[in-house]
Amino acid sequence: VVVQDGSVATESSSSEEAKDVGVLTIPSLEADKVVAESDGGEQLSTVSITVVGASGDLAKKKIFPALFALYYEGCLPEHFTIFGYARSKMTDAELRVMVSKTLTCRIDKRANCGEKMEEFLKRCFYHSGQYDSQEHFVALDEKLKEHEGGRLSNRLFYLSIPPNIFVDAVKCASSSASSVNGWTRVIVEKPFGRDSKTSAALTKSLKQYLEEDQIFRIDHYLGKELVENLSVLRFSNLIFEPLWSRQYIRNVQFIFSEDFGTEGRGGYFDNYGIIRDIMQNHLLQILALFAMETPVSLDAEDIRNEKVKVLRSMRPIKLEDVVIGQYKSHSIGGVTYPSYTDDKTVPKGSLTPTFAAAALFIDNARWDGVPFLMKAGKALNTRSAEIRVQFRHVPGNLYNRNSGTDRDQTTNELVIRVQPDEAIYLKINNKVPGLGMRLDQSNLNLLYSARYSKEIPDAYERLLLDAIEGERRLFIRSDELDAAWALFTPLLKEIEEKKTTPEFYPYGSRGPVGAHYLAAKHKVQWGDLSLDQ
Amino acid sequence: FFAEKHSQLDTSNGCATNFASLQDSGDQLTEEHVTKGESTLSITVVGASGDLAKKKIFPALFALFYEGCLPQDFSVFGYARTKLTHEELRDMISSTLTCRIDQREKCGDKMEQFLKRCFYHSGQYNSEEDFAELNKKLKEKEAGKISNRLYYLSIPPNIFVDVVRCASLRASSENGWTRVIVEKPFGRDSESSGELTRCLKQYLTEEQIFRIDHYLGKELVENLSVLRFSNLVFEPLWSRNYIRNVQLIFSEDFGTEGRGGYFDQYGIIRDIMQNHLLQILALFAMETPVSLDAEDIRSEKVKVLRSMKPLRLEDVVVGQYKGHNKGGKTYPGYTDDPTVPNHSLTPTFAAAAMFINNARWDGVPFLMKAGKALHTRGAEIRVQFRHVPGNLYKKSFATNLDNATNELVIRVQPDEGIYLRINNKVPGLGMRLDRSDLNLLYRSRYPREIPDAYERLLLDAIEGERRLFIRSDELDAAWDLFTPALKELEEKKIIPELYPYGSRGPVGAHYLASKYNVRWGDLGEA
Repeated sequence: VVVQDGSVATESSSSEEAKDVGVLTIPSLEADKVVAESDGGEQLSTVSITVVGASGDLAKKKIFPALFALYYEGCLPEHFTIFGYARSKMTDAELRVMVSKTLTCRIDKRANCGEKMEEFLKRCFYHSGQYDSQEHFVALDEKLKEHEGGRLSNRLFYLSIPPNIFVDAVKCASSSASSVNGWTRVIVEKPFGRDSKTSAALTKSLKQYLEEDQIFRIDHYLGKELVENLSVLRFSNLIFEPLWSRQYIRNVQFIFSEDFGTEGRGGYFDNYGIIRDIMQNHLLQILALFAMETPVSLDAEDIRNEKVKVLRSMRPIKLEDVVIGQYKSHSIGGVTYPSYTDDKTVPKGSLTPTFAAAALFIDNARWDGVPFLMKAGKALNTRSAEIRVQFRHVPGNLYNRNSGTDRDQTTNELVIRVQPDEAIYLKINNKVPGLGMRLDQSNLNLLYSARYSKEIPDAYERLLLDAIEGERRLFIRSDELDAAWALFTPLLKEIEEKKTTPEFYPYGSRGPVGAHYLAAKHKVQWGDLSLDQ
Repeated sequence: FFAEKHSQLDTSNGCATNFASLQDSGDQLTEEHVTKGESTLSITVVGASGDLAKKKIFPALFALFYEGCLPQDFSVFGYARTKLTHEELRDMISSTLTCRIDQREKCGDKMEQFLKRCFYHSGQYNSEEDFAELNKKLKEKEAGKISNRLYYLSIPPNIFVDVVRCASLRASSENGWTRVIVEKPFGRDSESSGELTRCLKQYLTEEQIFRIDHYLGKELVENLSVLRFSNLVFEPLWSRNYIRNVQLIFSEDFGTEGRGGYFDQYGIIRDIMQNHLLQILALFAMETPVSLDAEDIRSEKVKVLRSMKPLRLEDVVVGQYKGHNKGGKTYPGYTDDPTVPNHSLTPTFAAAAMFINNARWDGVPFLMKAGKALHTRGAEIRVQFRHVPGNLYKKSFATNLDNATNELVIRVQPDEGIYLRINNKVPGLGMRLDRSDLNLLYRSRYPREIPDAYERLLLDAIEGERRLFIRSDELDAAWDLFTPALKELEEKKIIPELYPYGSRGPVGAHYLASKYNVRWGDLGEA
């Protein structure tokens, strides 16, 4: 959605549109977005956001704060209501106390923050109920209606609950608490199954109650500022597009590292492992955005069509192109860090990978033969997410004689650091100032914190706003999800059937050395582990 | 131990050039004899009492000495008409010597050692006897070693040939090399330049003539070829397919300030454009040379110059600064300078559009702009790229799409830097685009002081590295491009557009740019 100042278009247009009251009918699904945009500012429409699983961690840490930030920035419609829904018994006041603890104000805009918080909390309510109870959702519906006060009602459900109750909650919400005259949308978050079959079954069940355009599958990595910027970089700069192919790019690396382990919360993780938790979704989504052809337009369907094409052009991953690892305990400076299996919530003898590296290939004209390397791990030496594009060597390099180092290592590299310390930099070769001729790598740098003093909004803010506005660009479509699973399912099956033992690496290390051999096999050198990084 | 010293130079401190082409026999000799420890170098600065000598040449020689880049055995001679003793010369020099900020250690000691090797010889510039005297003194210092002699002519152009004649006939080395560094002006048009070259060549071979263009010794000009040829990401973009225009900009924020006598005879086009800016253009636009050897690079540069259309009068805007009052202070006009004739039409500002008629650059405007008494001081190269065809983000741009193209800026001085302007998303909700810079500021990346251009060039001349010096055919080709327009300007007595001292220059420069759909990058935004 192209909006000048980043807040919702509707805020400014309220007065002009106030006259158009009578034309509202029950909108067709295709018209959702239009209605959302043109109605938000009218006195007669409202948005109700129901956070299902309101007492959970994600809700407390991310969803409520993101909603408050949107409210603070004036991005929510004039009239809105927020409902927390969970099984615990709680009063509205108790919910507000809980929510208020995690709300923060942006560093750069403290003015009126206290007041704004109060106003926001007044719009938050709680409804206690079972996730599979039609009656409880009917009761919720009544409360929602009360708050909506006869306005055109748009309803957004955020399912912040375990996957096994997704379908129940969707069934109840859809049949008992859907909007009668506006839109109803449901945000769901991973895991979307654990392989092709279970994912398809989930999609099928959801579709019994929801249309495709009602389902908003979040991949919160797509809401990250620099992932959003990836397409801008590619498509609004003349200088990058000519380089964006096998002719100039030697390899691409997608790297995710966490510097902590499961820390007593491995129960969920152990069922999935790092490949499902990070690679099949976050890293693969970024890969698809990176590698896609130029879409016809920036509309959600056009972009998602191009992403699916990339995924469908990819070879399923072979076991020999994957290295898995698991962290083991490590003592450093008197502190002992636990191993993965020391986590009480993890079964002894678990083979679940906490680290994985993989080489993927896209068999199309643009990318044939270019290795796309992924690496993701927990309990590593650093915390970061980045994209590294390594360019080919300069053919017939005139300066060969002058590089003291290996020519292969002094190629250009474009690095997009998604987190932390968002930045873009391009490694170039230049002359070391001084007499004589010595070459050296320097960076052409763009450090976000130096260029933009504003705080960068959390990914959840962007995604919630997009869901409210019906902008689907950053959400995963069913066919994308299927294609993503189709790539990883055979591999995951094989790993599990063969009970492949992960390579151990010490907590806080750089991960198993196997990752280097995998890279070397494809003539790649990991950019994040080189000395000058 | 000479061998040791020399190899140390080569490897550790980066003084010795890595490209020294050892093709001509003179160099071969040098190399051999240096290693045998029997050779010596004499540098004679002709015109030693002049401004350039004091401000640039002696300090550069000292810096080279300090960094260990001069051979073990060397002498520096000052030659001028004034009567001076060695001591007086040393006093004069020592007042301008400085130590690098980052290497103050033992600087005093080093200075003393350096000054002990400096001598003075007084003589006329056209007297063979006086040069014969110099020769005796040089021989005395050389004490029978292989002698290599470098003459730096820091004198007015009208006595170039006299000095070269005398030096060459009476004070050439008998067993080593003799080289002569000359600096602009090399004539004032094709004919006079051709004549100068012809005269020089009566006494010197092409290999002995080192024509300095000190812009070629600037760090970022040197880096231009490195950027192009050692980075995969730039070469594919380096053509008419992707580059919309190239701008070469030179500004000074002061006028002639009482020293307009020389300048008035030449004007800004001869003083800056025909040499400095055109040289940078040639380096920028040349095809990939076969190697980094001097002859290969210079051959490619000549090809560029010969592919260019001579500058046409309608593609030039000339200007002259006028007096200006600002904040209670009055800045003088060019003709207020007592050394400038009252009705001088000499341009102190010029903008020009030039074209290269070859496959790579056909139709791409190369714009040059040079001026004195402007609002800022700087020299930069700006490469503006074409627009993004079928830009998906058209809707998101508040500003004109044309203005939001990529731009590569190489700032030669001051604050050396390279930056690439890219479009990216303004962080935050919604989708707004913005231009940001991918930056490399030398000051923050390289804390070491960058050597002066003269140091590099003197060292190259000593080592026989000719890459950064202008060959005769380059010079001819450069004059051929500018001579017709210069003649026409002077014959038609074209009146320069006046612009206030300290301003951004005459507006005519904008109209010239707009004629070729160009917008000056340096005046666009902050």
